[in-house]
Amino acid sequence: MAEVLLEAKNVSKHFGGVVAVNSVSITIEQGSIYAVIGPNGAGKTTFFNALSGFYMPDGGQVLYKGQDITTMPNWQRVQLGMSRTFQTPSIFPELTVYENLLIGVQSQQKIAFRLRLPSVARKKEIDARIDELLGFVNLVHLKDRPVAELSHGSQRLCEIAMSLSVDPTIVLLDEPMAGLAEAETERIMRVIRDLHDRLDLTVLFVEHNMRVVLALADHITVLDRGAMLAQGTPSEISNSQIVREAYLGQEVLNRV
Amino acid sequence: MNNRQKQGYIAAIAAVVLLAVLPLKIGSHSVLSLMHLDVSILSEMLLFAIAAMSVNLLLGYTGLMSFGNAAYFGLGAYGAGLSIHYLNMNFIEGAIIGTIVALLGGLIVGPFLLRRRGIYFALLTLAFGQVFYFIAYRANEFTGGEDGMSFPRPYFGFPGWHTDLHEGSFYYLMLLVFAVVLVGFWLIVRSPFGRTLQAIRQNELRVRYLGLDSNKFIFVALLVSAAMAGLAGALYGLLIMFAAPLMLDWQQSGDFVMIMILGGAGSIWGPVVGSLIYVIGKDIISTLTQTWQIYIGALFVICVLAFPGGLLGTLLNSIARRDVGAPISEETVPHKAWESGAPASSAAVAAEQKES
Repeated sequence: MAEVLLEAKNVSKHFGGVVAVNSVSITIEQGSIYAVIGPNGAGKTTFFNALSGFYMPDGGQVLYKGQDITTMPNWQRVQLGMSRTFQTPSIFPELTVYENLLIGVQSQQKIAFRLRLPSVARKKEIDARIDELLGFVNLVHLKDRPVAELSHGSQRLCEIAMSLSVDPTIVLLDEPMAGLAEAETERIMRVIRDLHDRLDLTVLFVEHNMRVVLALADHITVLDRGAMLAQGTPSEISNSQIVREAYLGQEVLNRV
Repeated sequence: MNNRQKQGYIAAIAAVVLLAVLPLKIGSHSVLSLMHLDVSILSEMLLFAIAAMSVNLLLGYTGLMSFGNAAYFGLGAYGAGLSIHYLNMNFIEGAIIGTIVALLGGLIVGPFLLRRRGIYFALLTLAFGQVFYFIAYRANEFTGGEDGMSFPRPYFGFPGWHTDLHEGSFYYLMLLVFAVVLVGFWLIVRSPFGRTLQAIRQNELRVRYLGLDSNKFIFVALLVSAAMAGLAGALYGLLIMFAAPLMLDWQQSGDFVMIMILGGAGSIWGPVVGSLIYVIGKDIISTLTQTWQIYIGALFVICVLAFPGGLLGTLLNSIARRDVGAPISEETVPHKAWESGAPASSAAVAAEQKES
């Protein structure tokens, strides 16, 4: 059994009287592609935000490599090796694609706080790293364009490259296919697979498209109305009677 | 070095040379005297430009609206004035102490300001600014209260050498200080630190999710801004040999914001252009009419409506647009580029689709 990388123990989050996430536990092993799935309003993104430090959970614990990070500030979690993307790409719209990645690479190289410019050798190293990241998501040709001018799909790829720029161990992707056309969905699916196959990263992603989840993930947690409905491998989930009846509907499964 | 940068250097050097030449007399007249302007108005213009640059670092670069930078400006003036009045400090010591007092002010309020963003940040800067205003206003015995305090302008110099600064030599000293601040500002905004500030302005959340403690960056930006405004205030106090509570007031802060917006926020030269228009415009218009504020206000409204990027910002943008030409379309790159990028995985996805 592989090493446990990220673990949530009975994580709960409520907003006023509304319980958005109710005692959800997951265990993500190093090297897996883990999906959290559920219909709109199931608490997927809330759970995700509690894991990534967007806000603190009201109950439960989050562990990273066994270390309790439940109340750790988000920027420190990134330094530990957890990076994330957002449903609406979170980027620097007026900066070019290159500059967007530069901020992340500066952070990874621990030079973001410096007042002097990087040396020529360091600049070369930074540029090479940015080219490598852009090559991975195939955005090299858009390097000098302001990100605001890019298509939604390209913005998302840029954001994924940014989340890679900090050299993470695990990447958390919040609904990476949201609002994308079919062809772009394929692009992102390939990138997620590459994160795992080519970069040896662990991936956790939130998604409501069952086809995507079954094609990519090796472990799945199904959420419904804030609670865990089922947990298991893709075949276990697609064969689960509870999931079929309560959430998916026979028709969806047939299509898959 | 690209063309754009080269043009920038040439424009910067030309501007400083022009500023240096303005007061020079040919015969019995100079350009300045022909315009019925006093050389001290140019000193004021440069100092207000530095103060507006300090606001620009926060709003134009970091995205934080400060309505309290006059507090640091006034602290600088009082720091210089009080140290000269009570401790017989010389010119350089007075300027340094003024700057340090403003920096201390920033150190005290900074941790509170860091807790809020947006409109609440702006309101906090306003509130803290007024706190300093009322302290200066109330501490009658020490600061002269509402009437302010006059103090002499000490000799300028070092141990072993000193000189008396008249308005002309004062101006050239200010030009030197201004040039140093300008170069320093330019180095800061293009450094990794400065780029991170600009990223914070656009999306602070993303900066944090790139593993950076944005508060640390904002705090340092606040301190740099306070020190810049403090230096400008200390030198302004030494220029007019006076410090008064109104220099700390929110109206003064508003003037700095206005100067910055007139010229263009987020550009290095914007506040300088804004200060030129504001200070010289005020001087000329106020000799013609007592209601000069109306005209400056109208100019401000016109600028905001017609040139939202500021006068200089709008000008530079139109030049940049002409340089760049037609944008490259994303579609010009064939889809093939993507396919070859990830051959192994695309085959895998295709295989999966076949299976289902």
